[in-house]
Parts: sequence; C-alpha cells; structure tokens
Amino acid sequence: MKDLKHLYELERLLEDANNDLVRKARSEGRKCVATVCENVPEPLLNLPGTFSVRLRAPRTGSMEMATYYMTSFLCEYTRALLERAMEGGYNFTDCLITPDGCTMLNRCIENMELLHTMEKPDFFYEYMEIPMKNDENGLNLYTLQCRNHVLTPLHERFGIDVSDGAIRQAVAEHNRVCQLIRAIGEYRKEDHPCITGYEFHILTMATYVAPKNMLIPVLEETLEELKTREPDTKKYRARVVLVGSEVDDVDVVKLIEDCGAYVCADRFCYGSFPGRDEIILTEDEDALTQICRQYMNRAQCARYMNQEKIQGRRAYVAKLAEDYHADGIIYEQMKFCDPWAYERTVGTQVLRDEYHYPVLSVDRPYAVGHSGQLRTRVQAFVESIEIKKIQGGGK
Amino acid sequence: MGKEWGSEPLGSFYTTGKVRNRREWRGFKDTFYDYTRWLHIMGILSKFIVKPRNIKAFFRYRWMANYLAAPMMVDRHTQGLRGPQLRIAHTEFDLVMADVAKLLDNLFKADRRIGNDKKLSDKVVLMDENEMTAVMMGFPTLKGLSRETPAVYVSVLLNQYAACHYIDVAQEYGLPGDVCPMPEAEAGVSIDDDFPILGACAVQCNTTCDGSLMGNSVISKRLELEDGVPCFQLAAPLRHQEEDVQEYAAQEIRNCIKFIEEQTGEKWDWDAYFTCAGRVNESTRHRLEWLEMNKTDYPQVFGSNLALYTETNYMAICGKDPDFLAADRKITALAEKAYKEKHKVLPEYRHRAIIWGVQSHFYFDFLIWLQNCWGILPLTDMLSMVSTKVLSEDDKEQAIYDMAWLTENMIMRNRTHGGYRVLLDELWEFCEEFRADTVILWEHMSCKALTGMHGQFEEKAREKGIHLIWVTHDLFDPRVISRQAIRDQVNRYMRTVFREEPLDPSLEILTDEQSW
Repeated sequence: MKDLKHLYELERLLEDANNDLVRKARSEGRKCVATVCENVPEPLLNLPGTFSVRLRAPRTGSMEMATYYMTSFLCEYTRALLERAMEGGYNFTDCLITPDGCTMLNRCIENMELLHTMEKPDFFYEYMEIPMKNDENGLNLYTLQCRNHVLTPLHERFGIDVSDGAIRQAVAEHNRVCQLIRAIGEYRKEDHPCITGYEFHILTMATYVAPKNMLIPVLEETLEELKTREPDTKKYRARVVLVGSEVDDVDVVKLIEDCGAYVCADRFCYGSFPGRDEIILTEDEDALTQICRQYMNRAQCARYMNQEKIQGRRAYVAKLAEDYHADGIIYEQMKFCDPWAYERTVGTQVLRDEYHYPVLSVDRPYAVGHSGQLRTRVQAFVESIEIKKIQGGGK
Repeated sequence: MGKEWGSEPLGSFYTTGKVRNRREWRGFKDTFYDYTRWLHIMGILSKFIVKPRNIKAFFRYRWMANYLAAPMMVDRHTQGLRGPQLRIAHTEFDLVMADVAKLLDNLFKADRRIGNDKKLSDKVVLMDENEMTAVMMGFPTLKGLSRETPAVYVSVLLNQYAACHYIDVAQEYGLPGDVCPMPEAEAGVSIDDDFPILGACAVQCNTTCDGSLMGNSVISKRLELEDGVPCFQLAAPLRHQEEDVQEYAAQEIRNCIKFIEEQTGEKWDWDAYFTCAGRVNESTRHRLEWLEMNKTDYPQVFGSNLALYTETNYMAICGKDPDFLAADRKITALAEKAYKEKHKVLPEYRHRAIIWGVQSHFYFDFLIWLQNCWGILPLTDMLSMVSTKVLSEDDKEQAIYDMAWLTENMIMRNRTHGGYRVLLDELWEFCEEFRADTVILWEHMSCKALTGMHGQFEEKAREKGIHLIWVTHDLFDPRVISRQAIRDQVNRYMRTVFREEPLDPSLEILTDEQSW
C-alpha cells in the first residue's frame, strides 16, 4: 500500500515522550498533565489550558538504576518509567496524576516522588483511589476522587477552569478524536483492509501522548486518505485480536504482522478499545458524574473484581473477535504483571473453552524489539490457525 | 543436659528425615509441662480424627495429610524456650490448634462431599483467608469459615512443601511462576477442585495485593459459577490512610452486611457486635502492653509468640471468640510477672531487631531461629504492627466506619498498601521506639509492594545507620529459596559485617531440607 501521509511524522512523534506537539503546546503556555493509567479520565486532564500525556519510555535501553530501586521482579514498564524519570526524561511535565491502579505503578510513581525526579518547583503528585467494582458506591468514590485529586489541584495550583462547561468542552474534543479513531478502525473489518494494524496502532497511540487538538487535523486527513487508499491484494494468513495489558511499544504489533497475522482489533491499554469510546453526555446530570460512570462501566481493567465485570471482560473480547472477523486471539501480558498474569490465564481458558477461539497466551518484555521467542510463538500460532482452516475446522 | 538455655545444642536434634531425633530437655519442670502440652495436642488430633467424616476428608483432600505434622510444628516454634515464654507459646498454640480443629470439623460437617449437613451449610459464610472477619462480628448465629486457612495457610506452617503441589497445578493451568505463591496456591487448590464445597454465600476481599485480588477471580469462577455459592466482592480501598476513601469503605461494609442478611436470612445483631468490639479493644490493650515491654531491655512477648498469635487473633478471631481474650489475659499476666523478675529468654541479647516484610514463619521457624542461633531479638514484625485504633462500643454509625477501617487495615495490607509512608517511614519510627539496631528485611521476592521499595529501604537504612539484613525468600515455596539458603543470608551478614560467632553454632547449618 502507498504510505499514509502522516505516518512517518507520527512515528517520529512517538520516539520521544517530550515530542514536537508536546513542546508546541507547552510553548503556548498550556500545562502538561502526566498520567500512567487509563483509569484517570482523560477529558479531565485536557481542560482549557491543560493537555495530558500518558507516560511511556520509548527507546528504552538499560534499566539498571530502576532495577536497583525496584528489583527485577517489577514489570519493565514501571522500571522503564522510573529510569526515564531519573534521567530527567519527564521534566517537561507539570504534574503527575496516578491511580493506585496496580501496586507496581504505584511504587514506580512513589519512587519518582521520593527521588525528586521532577525538577519543576511547583510540580505535584496526586494519587487516586479508583473503584474496583462498577456500582453506585464505586461511582461516588470515582467522582469524589476526580474532584479531589484532579479538578481541585488543577484549579488551585494552575488556575484551570474546571467548571461543567469546561469539562464538556474537553469531552467534545475528546469525542472528536474518538470518532476519528473509531472511523479509521472500522476499515480493519474489511477482508482486504486499507490500513494495517501497525499503522492503526501508531495513530491511536499518538492520541494518548500528544495534545488532542493538534492531532485532529492529522486524523481527519488520514481518514480522508483511507477512503481512496488501495489495499494490498495479498490476504493476511490470520486475523487476530490483541488483548492484554499496557502496549506502548510500536514493535509489538509490527512483529505480529511481520509473522503474517493481521491485528484487526486492539483491546489493551493504549489501544482503541475501550479507550477511544466516545463519552455521551446529557444535560440532566453534571458532566463529571457522567464521565466517571462511563469510564467505570466500560473499563476492561483487570482490577475490576465483581463477577459481572470479570465475565464481561471475556464477553467483550469475544464480541470484538466476532465484530472484527478474527480467526484467533492473542492474550499478552507484560512479564511480572500480576493483574494480567491472572487475567491472561483465565481469559485464555475461557476464550478457548467457552467461546472456542484459538488463543495464544504470551508474556513479553516492555520493549519487544526483535524478540525471537515472541516471533516464534506468533509464527506457530499463525500456522496452527492456517492448519485448522485447511482441515476445515471451526474457529 | 540441664534446665538452662544452651545446655544442649539445638541443632543436634535435627536428622536428614522428616522429624527430629528426640525432644529437647528443658529441665524437669519445663519438660514435663511441654510434654503435657504435646499430649494435649495429640488429644485434639485424636478427638478430631475419630469422627468418620473427618477420616473421609483425610482421604479426599490432599492437604489434610499435612496435619500429621501438627505436633512437630509446635515443637519447631518452641525450640529453646523456657519458663514464661514456653507457657506463653503453649497458651497460644493450644488455642490456635483447637480453633483450627474446630474450623476443619465445621468445614467437613457442612461439606457437600463429606458431611453434607445442609442446615449447617446454610449458616456458613465463607471468608477469604487474608480477610478481616469484622463483618461477621454482628452475626453470632452464623459461622464465618475460611477454606483457604486450613488448606493452604496452616498447611505451609505444618509442612514446608505443603503448597508446592498446588503451585504446580496453577502453573500447569497457565499462571506464571513470578506471582505471589500464596494466592497462586489458593487458586491451585480451586483449580484442583480440592476445597470443601459449602456455605450459604461467600465474601471475597481485595486483600492483600493484586495477586490476591486476581486469585479470587479464579476461586469465584468455580465457587459461584460451578458450585452455585453466591459471592460478594468486598472492595477495601488501597489508599486506606486517606480521609476521602472512608465513606466508600463504609458503604462496602453496609452492602456486605446486607448481602449476608439476604443470603442467610439472618439479621445483624448490634449487641453481639459491640460485645466483640469490646473484646477487640481489650485485645488491643494487651497487645500494646506487650509491645511496650518489648521497647524495654526485658521483652517478653516477641518473635513467634507475638507474630503467629497476633495474626490469628487480630484477623480471624476479631473479638468473636472469648477464649482468645482469656488467653490474652493469661499471656499478659505471665509477661508482667516475667518482666518484673527481669526474665531473659537468652543469656545474651546481642541485637534488637525489627522484622519487616510479610509472614516470616510459613515454611520456616525463622524468628525463633534468629534468637537461638545469633541472639537477635525479633522485637516485633511488620504483621504485628496492626491497627491499635479503639473501636466504638456504642455508636452504630461509627461502628460501620470501624469495621471498614479494620478491613482496610488487615494484616500486611495495612503496610503494603496505603502509600509508602506506612511501609517505609514508619519502619524507622519503630526502630527508634524499640531501640532497634537491626532491621531484618524479610523480602518476599514476589511481593511487588515490598520489592518496589527495595532501594528506598537500603538508602534510608544507610542514612540512619541501621543494620539492614536482606533476607530474600519465596513465602510458600522452599524449592525457590530453601530454609538453609535463608539461614545463609543471615549467617553471612553476621559473620562478615558484625564479625560475630553464633550463640548456638549447631544451628548455623541444618539438615532440614526434607523435614516437615
């Protein structure tokens, strides 16, 4: 296929946490709000005068110092973040708002705080409690936490307008990004898709790490471009849904697609499901409560512990596989991630036994690079799907 | 052989087999007393096993075989003890043994596969192992029983290899080997279908960690979806020190009580609750008194005697059993008398230590070994530094918040969660209070909450001039780090940094690889 016009530019953007668009927004006087987890509602961090950046550590090399502070038993994402913070790689941010989502992320941020890694004098950290069940009690907690740990500090420290009107304005911008990503993602349903899973991953990921308003024209242009883009004639050997924990390494999807698979749907942190679902607001309730309710109900985070949510997560993956015509599912987790270790294990069994999908279950390092092990696993999985097809088996 | 400590080398009793070659001679009076307690435990076991349903359970559940090692476990945790400490230990073990026997008896009586007593089963609320049982304080007619406690938790105290089979089962199912082996083993029991099936309902809690929270999803998959036992997931906030999570925690307690009422048809009884709250308060006062003594030159209730008992009393009993209060009073009386007499456990106290980390006694009698081998006094441990908040004994609204607070502050999670201050900063405050010169950092390699602060512990200890001895272990799995590998970590530090010789050299290297 002909290269997408903005792909190279976005690939370059993702090579640095403090990327061109972030620098541009900061030069306009906007405050950069860093976060590390999808459980912090994004629109609240993108109010007029602020923009959010989900932290990642592209081009991670050595993690020696972070390993000293947190040992080699903590997941590499958290160690890579801490290492980058110690190197001064996040000094462009103005505050860090984090949920006590998983223990390792929490410890990572606490180490950042204890080691005084952020150099701005008015820099502050906020730690949020996020509900573990989607019920009324959880909603009350969520709204209170967002008010106390996001809105109030942003208003008091930076004078940000946190009114209902400002939040609705942020939601409108957020929704525009979501609409565009979803519309682009729809092309992945086609037999001969005119966008690769890798390209889609680059587009989606950019929306998490750069000011949204600056990406909207890029996404609009890309959507227009796709309408006339000629797909490759070659058919992929297998279509897969990629499910799991945090994937911000551009090489993961690339590696899978290099093995002949097509990543037709992305259900992982930094993916578009459910992160790029629109937030539907009505006028009969304040925006904050509505945002929290929708974040809570749609969340596919493994830490939600009620049975409805647990079963719902597997049904959600199965539905994605059905909607996007997947032949199989790849469940991945980052090595040493406790929540996804369990979720991947049980999810794999359930999707195989109850939904009858072929499932590849893998753990992986933070930066995949050219991992031979992972490549071999994916190649074998693709072949097994092909053999099933040849033998006329079911899914 | 004499009645004094050190009259015979304690390491000489070890063989290469499962049991030791003979009992320790502690002088006539203490040996006779110790023997009567051994007989008492054998009596508890005999009374338990004569019931046909318990014999059936013995052959049905793989983990039951571990209970053959119960007397040996008590012997392990009373090594070298004399006088008041021996009596304190046995007061505790007598009660804990009887409590576990009662728990097993009830489990098997109501178990659909064994006793199948439907009437009893309908009065049972299954509780997590690592869960405060505060929500059961107002249900005197119901039984809050934990299946994980006898299957996994107690089993690993009895037999060092008890959890290995279930860890393997979980890993064959697909779980990686780097998660905490405690919830992994519990999940393994469930996958192996080796839990008794009973109960009107179950209350699961997100204590103590991500692994524990997620392990519950494996257990509830079988329990709720296959066995048809409705489960309530009690979500205790992680940032439990913050004011703005307390209402959420309180509402979870209200919802949980409502769930239990609906499932069992029983009503919450405030009188019963306040009676239990009174007992918890008195137990707290006793514990505080013991800790105060431990700050002096004459500690009396410390090491295993403090750690094992506090866990049971604080978390599992939570004021529901008056026998534990009677034991508290007896222990305090023994300790006060010994304190007045300036009684010392060992001829020489070399180091005053705080043991920081998760449970330090699962597959190893670490605390008693520390004192006997090296003269290191384990003054207190992380899991004994639990809430000392006084519960309201008459205010119903406050009581809900008290139960929420207790649930949030379950042993271990009150330190491993709630922000770094409760894990890191308070340790140094305790060092000062207890005048400790040493911290044994009992680092559970799979506990991400603890290892995530590794560098901070090291730097702060250096800054404060406190000896920090890293002791890495894998909590439930001696195949990863054996007992001797644990001992070696301490031995190395004592010889190279402190340049000391052991008090009892026979304990430095032991042949207990195969021992229970």
